[in-house]
Order: sequence, then C-alpha cells, then structure tokens
Amino acid sequence: MATTSLKKLSDMPELLTGGHAACPGCGGPIIIRQVLLAAQQDGRKVVASISTGCMEVSTTIYPDSAWRVPIFHSAFENSAATISGAEAAYRSLKRQGKYEGEIAFIAFGGDGGTYDIGFQSLSGALERGHNFTYVCYDNEAYMNTGIQRSGATPKGAWTTTAPDGTVEPGKREIKKDLTAIVAAHGVPYCAQASPHRPRDLMRKVQKAVATEGPCFLNILSPCPRGWRHDPDVTIQLCKLAADTCVWPLYEIENGKLSINYKPKEKKPVREWLKSQQRFRHLFAPKNEHLIEEIQAELDAKWGQLLAREAFDNEQEQESE
Amino acid sequence: MRAKQAERVLVSGNEAAGEAALRAGCTFYAGYPITPQNRLTAYMAEHLPRRDGTFVQAESEVAAINMLYGASAGGARCMTSSSSPGISLKQEGISYLAGSELPAVIINVQRGGPGLGNIAPAQSDYFQATRGGGHGDYRTPVLAPATVQEFADLTYLAFDLADRYRNPVMVLSDGMIGQMMEAVAFDHLGPPAPPPKPWALTGEPGRKRNVIKSFQPVVEDMVEFHKRFLEKYARIEREEVRFELTGPQEAEVLLVAYGTSARVCRQVAERMAGDLPFGVALFRPITLWPFPAAALAHVAQGTRGILVVEMSAGQLVEDVRLAVEGACRVELLPSPGGAVPQAAEVAAKLRYLFGSQERKGTP
Repeated sequence: MATTSLKKLSDMPELLTGGHAACPGCGGPIIIRQVLLAAQQDGRKVVASISTGCMEVSTTIYPDSAWRVPIFHSAFENSAATISGAEAAYRSLKRQGKYEGEIAFIAFGGDGGTYDIGFQSLSGALERGHNFTYVCYDNEAYMNTGIQRSGATPKGAWTTTAPDGTVEPGKREIKKDLTAIVAAHGVPYCAQASPHRPRDLMRKVQKAVATEGPCFLNILSPCPRGWRHDPDVTIQLCKLAADTCVWPLYEIENGKLSINYKPKEKKPVREWLKSQQRFRHLFAPKNEHLIEEIQAELDAKWGQLLAREAFDNEQEQESE
Repeated sequence: MRAKQAERVLVSGNEAAGEAALRAGCTFYAGYPITPQNRLTAYMAEHLPRRDGTFVQAESEVAAINMLYGASAGGARCMTSSSSPGISLKQEGISYLAGSELPAVIINVQRGGPGLGNIAPAQSDYFQATRGGGHGDYRTPVLAPATVQEFADLTYLAFDLADRYRNPVMVLSDGMIGQMMEAVAFDHLGPPAPPPKPWALTGEPGRKRNVIKSFQPVVEDMVEFHKRFLEKYARIEREEVRFELTGPQEAEVLLVAYGTSARVCRQVAERMAGDLPFGVALFRPITLWPFPAAALAHVAQGTRGILVVEMSAGQLVEDVRLAVEGACRVELLPSPGGAVPQAAEVAAKLRYLFGSQERKGTP
C-alpha cells in the first residue's frame, strides 16, 4: 500500500541523488525527490522525461546523472511529447506480452517548458489521454537562462525581460492559471501542491500515478536567484504562499474540486511581496496601487475556488 | 571641445548588437530566452520601450519569428535573436519571410550542437545559415562579425540590406563574440534611413491594395516568382560581397576563417609570422552568403595552399573548395563541439602541412 508516512519513506531509496548542481535553496530537487519517493511505491518503476531547464541542466551534466530512473531529455517544448512516445511504446509491449511490470510515466517541466513553449505538446498529450503524470515545477520565470518572464510570472514581479523602472512596474500581465487550463481538458486528476506539505504532495503524486489517464501536478518551486531571497527560507516561502492564498493547494478529481488547505487567517499579500526582492519596487509610492490590485485579484481567485468547492460538494450531495 | 576620437564604450557583443539595432531604427523586437544571447534580449527589453519601440518576449521561438512576419508586413524595421537550437525552430518562419519578401534581421549567437549541444561558442550553423535553413529555394544574406565593433556595424548594415532587398538577413555571431566585451564606437551608426515601403500593409485608405504572400498555387505564377528571386539573389551576389584580407601581399599560404576562428587566425598571420618559414595571410569572409568566391579564387592563385579553420566539423571548407575549384590544395583544421582553436594549434598545423613539400597526412 502506498504510504506517506515519513518514517517509512525514510527507508525508501532516493531516486534523485545528491551531488547535482542545483543552487542552494532551489525548490526543484526537493520537489523531484518527493515526487519520485511517492511514485515508486506499490512496486512501480518510474520512467521520466524532462524538458530543458534548470533541473535538466543541473542534474544531468554529462557524463553524470543524479537520476536513478531512466530519464529522457529531448528539446524544450517536448517533455510531454517524449513521454507520450515512451508510454505508447510501453502499451504496445504490454499488449504483445513482452513486458509485465507497472511503470509510472512522469514528465517534468519548469514553467517555461510547461506554461509557454511546451504547452502545445502538453495539451496534445492530455487530449490523447496517455497514461502519464505531468509535474510542473513552477518557479515563475525562465531561471535557467537568466530570469526572463514567463506565462507563470506573477503580475508586478521583476525579471530581466520585464524590468522595473521609472515607467514600468515589472511584469504587467497576470499569471496564467495553468492548473485551470489543464482541468479544462477534462483530465481525471490534477492538483496544485507545494513542497512545504510533503505528505499532501506525495499523496497527490500517488493519486496521479495510480489514476488511469493523464494527470497533472503544478508545484510551487521557490528560486533564490530569481525571486531574490535567501536560500534558507525556501520552505517558509512555500508556506507563506499557501497562507496568503498566492498558491492555493487544491485538487480536481473527476471534475470535483477540493481545497486541501484553508489558512485559518488569510495573510495579506503584502507579506508575500515583502519576502522577495523581485517585488521590491512595488513598495515605491508610484506602484503601491498595484499591491491593492494584486490583493483584489487574489481575493477574487480564492473566492472562486471556495465557491467552486461548495458548488461541487452540493452537486455531489444532490446526486447521492 | 569634443574629443576627436569617437567616444567608445565597453560593452558585450550582445549589447552592442542591441544598441546598433536601436540606432538602425529597429522599432520591433521579439525574442525568447536561450543562452548565450540573453543579454541581447534583456537589452532590448530595457531600451526599446524607452525609444518608443515595442519589445515582446514571445512564448517560443516560433512565435517570435512569426511576430516579425506581422511587424515587417506592417512596415516596421524588426529583429529577433536566438542561439542555434532556437534558430532551428525559427526556420519555418524565415522561409515564410523569404517567400513573402519581407525584410527582417535575425541574429544567431551560435552555440555547440547538434541537439541541445552546449553553450560554448561554435560555428556549426554555417550550412543552415548559408543554404537557407528552412524549406524551399531561398537565400538569406549572412553577415559574420569577428569583433564586438563589427557585430554592431553588421547588425546596423543588416537592417539596410534587409530593406534594400526585401529579404531576411542573418547576422551569424557566436557565444564568444556575443559575450566578450570590447570598446565600441556607436556615433557613426545612424540616423537610420529606411527606404519608403509602399508595399507595406499600412491600412492606408485609397491606395491600391497590397498583397503579401508566399502562397502561389498556380505553378506558372510560382515560376515567375522564382525568376524574380533569382534575379534578386544574383544582384546580392554582385553587389554585397564583403571580405577582408590581412597579412603579407606575397603570402605562400592562406588561412581562411570567419568570426571567432578568424580572430585566432589573425593572431597567427600577424603576430606569429616570424615563427613560420613561410608567409601567411588571412582571408576572412564577412558575408558568408554571398560567399566571396571570386575574390578568394583570385587571392589563392599562386599560393601553395589554403588552411580553413572553423569551429565546426567542415562546413566553410566546402565553400572554399567550390571557390578555388581545385586550383590549390585546401586543408581543414576543424574544431567542432564548442572548442575554440588555439593560435599555437593553427601554427603547428600550418608547419606540419606546409613546412616541407613531402609530408602528407594529418598530425
């Protein structure tokens, strides 16, 4: 049986080893370790693919690899397409009786490789219904190439291609709600998670790999270099993201949405913005109004989530 | 009093290209992150809006090149930049630009390939750049800078060539020229003088309607189209050939190289000449297409042979062989995979190949 017991998990093999070249405080390896720990349970083997990005570059520096599972890298835009091919070949082998084991196919991608350039292949794989799990480690910009804005960069954040200055307030556009877009594909399971709640994250991974069909996990991944914060506060930041509802933890299973964490006291977004230097310019008098806007947008999103959850609960009760 | 010498600033190649583009009147830039050209994108993000231009970070290289298709059709001077794998993704768009006769500037800050390769400087996109990397029968002028100053100058020139011939133009740089810093003068660049573009889709009422397309379903129309292309390409080959010859007049041996490898060869031709038992000159193509074939054939006459030095497995060497048509010996010092050849290596190869008449083979 799958477990999220930390005591039991501590006896399981780590499938992403130490010694890789990720920066101190990077959320990426923490997430991948948790994902792989959870996915290998119930005797499953893992086959992974990864798009170009920090995690690909820092964990697969030739001739070394930090991965103890087979892993593909093709191009930036192709993680979901590559895993589609691998999963289709596996199904074919199974049909022919040439392979019997259970394999969890997991595609990894950063936000650039998922929200933007890789979205086409992700959408195609979801629509075709391959039996795989896509894990996006969302650090909210193209960090590998030097902090350029992505579709996941939140409004107001500084990046090298959305600089702040006397006129510009950093990125002007809102963050793309990719989890909702994936859900709109009608996938059987998708969720948002965060590494500060490892048991919730790993339960979601287990759910995803055990579910037949395409599943998607969007996981917040702090980046000390790009977010401009000290490397020792990575996990605290994740908690703050959940407490401010910047990164709500929820899942949508067969169309039914459940929120997995509701802060007792929702913290103001100001605290989140203050915690990272990428938002520093927002506290200048000319930008202060943006903080109000960001708060209002977050409140609206959170309100929509609560309403959707309540609606889904009602629907379920009615049908019972 | 102004100093007589033009003011020079210390900048990287990527920034120099960006500044030159702005001085050439580039009003639209679309890009997508890839190392080692990110400083150029960041430069445009910071400076283009200040000069009333539009910067867009696209969601992919494919989107960026197609944004140029739109901007150029609208009459704007426009540019995109990327590095080798990203340039591969742009090829469909470049083919469409060429087919629709739309001017645009594409900067390739080359890195090692194939595939993901690495982020070291390389010259392995020579074939892709000079043969028209996308589908169909087309050509793009390719300009190859060897210094940061030249990266700026050729980027500026690229806009003029693109407009003059209504054709995409590529500036083929590499990770070395893109990221190294040198003192660069910009004062001589500008003000921009883009020609009138009566063909542009400006939405202007009252005039005859403009049509821009590469789609020619009737074979006869396409044949006519291609006749025009061929005339245009022939005109570019007549008028836009650029190269540089350095070293002694009566050199016995000729080095041929462009870009970063030409910098290494220049060191051999100029500073190590005394160490070699024969005179060495450097022939440096500045336009890779049109290739300075006639000039090279002329210079090669009477030399004992040519050594081609390139940071690829042997691409430029083919154009050199085509140019001299067997008139002299053509040898190759390849340096693929992101390695930059060293001057001593070039000198040793020269000595081995041309030091005595009898020896054959490779060291």
